[in-house]
Amino acid sequence: MSFDTIIELEDLARYYEMGGVTIQALDGVDLQIGRGEYLSIVGPSGSGKTTLFNMVGGLDRPSRGKVYIDGVDISKLDAYELAWLRCRKIGYIFQTFNLIQVLTAVENVALPTIFAGVPRDEGLERAEKLLTSVGLGERLHHRPSELSAGQQQRVAIARAMANDPDIILADEPTGNLDLNTGMEIIDILHGLNKTRGMTLIAATHDLKMIKASDRIVWLRDGKIERIERG
Amino acid sequence: MSGPVAGVGRVSFTLIDTIRLGYGYIKRRMDRASINMASIALGISFLSTLLLTDAFYRAHAMVGGARLSVETYQYWLVFVALAVSVVGITNAMLIAVYERYREIGTMKCLGAMDRHILMLFLIESFIQGVVGGVAGYAVGLVAALLSTGFTTGFDIVLKVPAVELLGLFAGSALLSMTLSVAATLYPAYRAAKLNPVEALSYEL
Repeated sequence: MSFDTIIELEDLARYYEMGGVTIQALDGVDLQIGRGEYLSIVGPSGSGKTTLFNMVGGLDRPSRGKVYIDGVDISKLDAYELAWLRCRKIGYIFQTFNLIQVLTAVENVALPTIFAGVPRDEGLERAEKLLTSVGLGERLHHRPSELSAGQQQRVAIARAMANDPDIILADEPTGNLDLNTGMEIIDILHGLNKTRGMTLIAATHDLKMIKASDRIVWLRDGKIERIERG
Repeated sequence: MSGPVAGVGRVSFTLIDTIRLGYGYIKRRMDRASINMASIALGISFLSTLLLTDAFYRAHAMVGGARLSVETYQYWLVFVALAVSVVGITNAMLIAVYERYREIGTMKCLGAMDRHILMLFLIESFIQGVVGGVAGYAVGLVAALLSTGFTTGFDIVLKVPAVELLGLFAGSALLSMTLSVAATLYPAYRAAKLNPVEALSYEL
């Protein structure tokens, strides 16, 4: 099977100035990620996982090096195009779910479709289908505060899927969940990766998530320490 | 920066979308919104009380009553009241921006641009300005009637030309919207310029 690259990182580095000291959050990372791949990024806290995510997600600009998504150098994109990339190409899942507290589950999931220019009814309909597919068909009009942690993360997954992105970036998606709930989330993510061919990149400490992945990238001090096959 | 890149599109966030979302946010954060609306309504009601009282006195003089007038210094008090409203709204909106740090960061991840966040906050404040202005005028009308009615008679409101009452209403509403939006310019700019990475890692 040929390796179809969706993301390419080229000598990627990010330095921060903090109180006169330069912190090397990422220090020259080269990596190719294949379409449909399930990649786990593992490393101690402060190893640069979140920084790497922010770079790939177009949320932060590198100090050096390039990020290519589908062959496009994302530093060449203007603000509109970068927003489009975040909106259509990438779905984000966070450790803390980051749902909008005043919106219901279905409104949270429909939110990204607004920015994608999808008509309102169609966006809400799509959101209902997605929530049903993650087992929350009965919880459409609940606010996040009325949902359990596991349910909130499922809403977040449905929201990440709303514009049918090619890439899902998940930052410690099971970090705030108990064992069983975490397993359910892993199953859902793994299922999306396998059935829809979505590229899944997850930063995690969770051994079960690591085991399910195709490749594991070990980061340490902003550099790739080693890459293993899952 | 370069021109459009192949395969990359653009996001959209129409005025209708902004109004719908902004209205929803106000409705569900009524506590903070009502503080803002009350603040602007107070200033506007003070102003419209004086302007309407003056209108009632003039109408009273027209029909042969004694010539009464509003003291000039009272208008200075109105100016102070409105300035206090504006500062109050700016303060409340700044706190709202801090409270919504994560939400703003999340929206940026989902495809919102700086200008969309700016518009959202300004629309919310515009809506609050409209409600505050209308409420302020209504309170002002009642207050002016209560303060003049006993000397001029309560039917004085019918002797003032309707055009004048409507004109004052339109003026109060317009002033209220303008002040509310102006008070939100700085907080909205702060919100729009938020770096999503910082916003997402922010703990309140």
